Amino acid sequence: MTAWDFGFRSSKSGFRLLNRLVGPPAPGNETQDHFTDNEDELVKISLDWISDFVDLSGLDPATIADRLTLCTAEVEGFEVLRRCVEGVVIGEVTAVEPLAGNLRLATVDAGSRPYATVCGAPNLRVGMKAAFAPPGTTLAGGMRIEATEVGGRRSEGVLCSAMELGMSRWHEVLLECPASLANGAPLAAQVPAEDVILEIDNKSLTHRPDLWGHYGIARELAAIFGRELRPLPTANLSPYDHLPAFPLTVEDFENCPCYACLELRVPPGLPSPLAMQRRLHALGQRTFNLLVDVTNYVMLELAQPTHAFDGDLVRAIRVAPMGRAGAFTTLDGQERQMLPDDLLIWNQTEPVALAGIMGGLASEVRPDTRRLLLESANFKAARIRRTSVRLDLRTDSAQRFEKSQPPANVKTAIARILRLIQEAGAQPEVTSRLTVAGDLKDHFRPLVMPRTLLHALAGKEIADDEVTRILTALGFQARFDAAGQLRVGIPPHRSEKDISIPADIVEEVLRVYGYGRIEPRMPSVAMRPLHVERPLRREHKARRLLAQGHGFIEVQNYGWFDEAWLGQLGFTPQRALVLKNPSAQQNRLLRTTLIPNLLALVGRNRVHRDSFRLFEIGRVYSAADDGASIEGTRLGGVSFHQMHQPTLEEHFRAVRGVIEDLGRVLSCGALRFESSAADPIPLPSADACETGEKKPPGDVPWQVPHYFVSVTCNGKQVGSLGALSGKILETVAPDGQVLWFELDLEALDGPIYPELKYQAPPIYPGSWQDFSLVWDLTQGFAALESRLDAFSHPLVMRREFLYVYKGKGLPPGKGSYSFRYWLGAWDRTLTSEQIDAFRDAFLAFLQSEGIALRG
Amino acid sequence: MGEIREQFLADLKKAASAKEIEQVRIRYLGRKGTITLLAKNTDFSKLTPEQKRDFGRQLNELKALAETEIAQALEAAKAREAAAPAAVLAALDRTLPGTGHSVGCIHPIALVQMELEDIFQGMGFMVLTGPEVEREYYNFDALNIPSDHPARDMQDTYWLTNGMLLRTHTSAIQVRAMERFGAPLRAIFPGRCFRYEAIDASHENTFYQLEGLMVDEGISVANLIAVMKALLSQIFHRDVTVRLRPGFFPFVEPGFELDAQCLLCGGKGCSTCKGSGWIELIPCGLVHPRVLEFGRIDTSKYSGFAFGLGLTRLAMMKFGIPDIRLMNSGDIRFYEQFPAAV
Repeated sequence: MTAWDFGFRSSKSGFRLLNRLVGPPAPGNETQDHFTDNEDELVKISLDWISDFVDLSGLDPATIADRLTLCTAEVEGFEVLRRCVEGVVIGEVTAVEPLAGNLRLATVDAGSRPYATVCGAPNLRVGMKAAFAPPGTTLAGGMRIEATEVGGRRSEGVLCSAMELGMSRWHEVLLECPASLANGAPLAAQVPAEDVILEIDNKSLTHRPDLWGHYGIARELAAIFGRELRPLPTANLSPYDHLPAFPLTVEDFENCPCYACLELRVPPGLPSPLAMQRRLHALGQRTFNLLVDVTNYVMLELAQPTHAFDGDLVRAIRVAPMGRAGAFTTLDGQERQMLPDDLLIWNQTEPVALAGIMGGLASEVRPDTRRLLLESANFKAARIRRTSVRLDLRTDSAQRFEKSQPPANVKTAIARILRLIQEAGAQPEVTSRLTVAGDLKDHFRPLVMPRTLLHALAGKEIADDEVTRILTALGFQARFDAAGQLRVGIPPHRSEKDISIPADIVEEVLRVYGYGRIEPRMPSVAMRPLHVERPLRREHKARRLLAQGHGFIEVQNYGWFDEAWLGQLGFTPQRALVLKNPSAQQNRLLRTTLIPNLLALVGRNRVHRDSFRLFEIGRVYSAADDGASIEGTRLGGVSFHQMHQPTLEEHFRAVRGVIEDLGRVLSCGALRFESSAADPIPLPSADACETGEKKPPGDVPWQVPHYFVSVTCNGKQVGSLGALSGKILETVAPDGQVLWFELDLEALDGPIYPELKYQAPPIYPGSWQDFSLVWDLTQGFAALESRLDAFSHPLVMRREFLYVYKGKGLPPGKGSYSFRYWLGAWDRTLTSEQIDAFRDAFLAFLQSEGIALRG
Repeated sequence: MGEIREQFLADLKKAASAKEIEQVRIRYLGRKGTITLLAKNTDFSKLTPEQKRDFGRQLNELKALAETEIAQALEAAKAREAAAPAAVLAALDRTLPGTGHSVGCIHPIALVQMELEDIFQGMGFMVLTGPEVEREYYNFDALNIPSDHPARDMQDTYWLTNGMLLRTHTSAIQVRAMERFGAPLRAIFPGRCFRYEAIDASHENTFYQLEGLMVDEGISVANLIAVMKALLSQIFHRDVTVRLRPGFFPFVEPGFELDAQCLLCGGKGCSTCKGSGWIELIPCGLVHPRVLEFGRIDTSKYSGFAFGLGLTRLAMMKFGIPDIRLMNSGDIRFYEQFPAAV
């Protein structure tokens, strides 16, 4: 059972089950100073804290979360924190008696009467005030407190840690209360039973450094709901101007544009006020004592990180780079390796803090620290980021500076800390004046823009007084002058990176005004014909032809090679571009051809299907002479059959037919298929097409000699097509038939809507004559065709190849190739004599060529 | 002879199938058929020449009649039988499935891309592409993403040893398009992008986006909302309720996240929209003036909006694909589910 309730409105991922209850903190998190554990993707906002600055009455958390999401930043969800404080009172420890182990018997004055209770907490001491739960109260986890026996002694009631009170999960120490609270006073007066914690995705606050603190969020809510924003109570620092300055030198203003400090004496070991403690706990922070807690508190309030040094150990401040490599121990006890460029805070002699990230161990505030040196500064985002990422130290402080925090709150933070220390009754004695180096930049920045620009960008006319109301509520100065100009003063808490151009002002007005109040309106444009990109149309034509006309399945592969697979294929890419940071070492090279990745799919898929045709349209990349990139679009494909169905030759002809169809559809000109008996044909690489450069043979293992052809168009090579055989077939798909092809789509350029000239067919009917010719299979079709090309006759309209027959009834090693000669005349019907004359002429030709007819 | 005639006609009438008709023929006109034997069994010596003539004539008439009737009946019976459903079925089984299928499959992302191209071309948007291996300038600098921005680290971007990178978003084409066409301009840029990410069910390092850009006189937030609503209503085939909320991207100002009301639950909350009622869909905004300046566009005359659609994500939503890794998986059982129907 948990003491927490959940309520959710999330437009992002996941129903966030927020389980932040029992359990000790993770190792390494035992220290203080700007740590949040594991939830550093969220900024948490306590509505109890916000209500110090804005009246939220009448607004339920869901509404607040919703409106904040719509106007400011995405609220992931919220939780209702229910504390167990009923019946718990303030108790003073008047005596402590040791028992066995680390148990002690404490006598607690709870106002009405003293109680004796057994307690194991390490910070139990005489004189302290703590939260005491007398018998009859119920604490977190439904734990009901009764009188019991512990270690042989009677124990009535419990001295509480934050966890038992349902304030947080911290349970190692007692919650120490200020001495000013009366014994027996109800805790509920200091710690309300409920709080609501909003959780804001910190990615949506990247550009709003001012919202990493409660006051900034309060300002937003005040503007959104039209309520008054109360000023932040701070101490006046001018009474101390007569005091000496603290010795402060900034040597690197580029990385530290502004640094302020104040020295003060304070009594040590005071507990923080409960208002401070309850809010820190509600946000998952631990509390220690006033001096440690107050800097944390103010950071979460103002988004301005500050740091407290032990003022007796740090007698001067110098802000400078490390200057050399060296070690530095941060206050979490870890020794870190510094680089010369890292920015450090130094005292007279040595580094005392990693600027903007984390303080040093040697100079941290201890329970007995009496003199405090407060630092409040501004550091350059890039510098902080580089150091904190390298060291993997993503502290709350670093996170805020990384967002380019403006220096606006540098001085305010110190004034606020002093005020809080004063209000806690600590009676601090300020011993230096506020010492500042650099530019506080706490002035308004002017910006002028015409009213019309605002309306034009919005697409709606927004009333002047609405504009000025919104901007004023957000802290801007705003007024319209007689000339229709909006004169704006940009407040210092909005950084220059955040607000500097008119479009930024438009955003400020519209987001609070409500984007939902802008009526959509389709733009009105001048009509003109649309430019069409041919390359993309070509891709779609190719895609449709293969996928709709030939049963291919489109796949997509990664843009890089798998070098392990290339090794198995025996392929070394030439001129491949190389990734500096590949996802895996074997994926360093960008693909120069689509084929290897497609071949890998054959083996993977043959277990599922015994035949398939896959294609891919994608980019290939190679390096030009000067190292720059050449990119091309290719069409690649593989066709797979289990052996024996159909024959390899039929399979090959079928795929070649697809490519022939592609040439027709792309209207790029006739595609020719050249087979070379000797050298492998170079890969169509982007530069090979331009320079005609040939690669050395043996480079391309899937171009198996005598099993592939090169595809040309208008004399240029545009691709190749082949079948796998031998070793590479064994690697890719043993006992299968694998065909591959790759075409340079950019080279297959043709009109999208081709023109052609109609040709009327002959008026007079023609005829045809079929011949089956016996020819050596080893010579091949092309050789026969070129012999037939030598025959011409005026009656021949065209010659058509029908089929080749290789079966029974033929002499060994011979095939029968059947052709159809289409005959006709333009001016008359053919006579049978003319047809006979043709036959005679053709047969005579065949005889002279030594080509026999099939008997 | 009259009797035989009547009997024959009756028998013929009874015969239904070709087989039965053939039997009738044999019975009457066969070698031992009744009509055939008529002549044989008649004693012509007892007849007068006139009777012989009559008989001959009648016999011939009967024979002719029988042959004609039988021929007709046979033809009709054969036609009937050929037209009988069972006979036809045996010769032409029209219930067998078709052959010669040539429709294969188009990749689901390509399907969605082609659909979006149609939608946008219908509104006069050009479709442009750009290089996947891109210069740092177009991918970052010209989009107002400064050199110390986190995205420039190794963490998010694939860098090449030659100083170029694999583009991390299709926004890289924006300034290229502006340089090429100037203003006014409206175009979409579909394409592949790369981000250095650990791969899991919802994260890939290689994915598709579709960027949109419209630059003209007087382009406003109101225009952006209207065009996005029109786009979504085309994609989802109904009116879609949208909401705009602040979002930050360096290349737009103001910048937004455009959410669509969850179509499954109508905004009440369900597992698809993770209980919120809204689906985060389209990051968008008005083009940042600096980006227009990089594109050499006169910012005093023109303004623009830009938006980015996750094509891969849209395909996953549209087709109910649960795991993004399937897109580049190479598994035919995935790809073959998407017929080439566009």
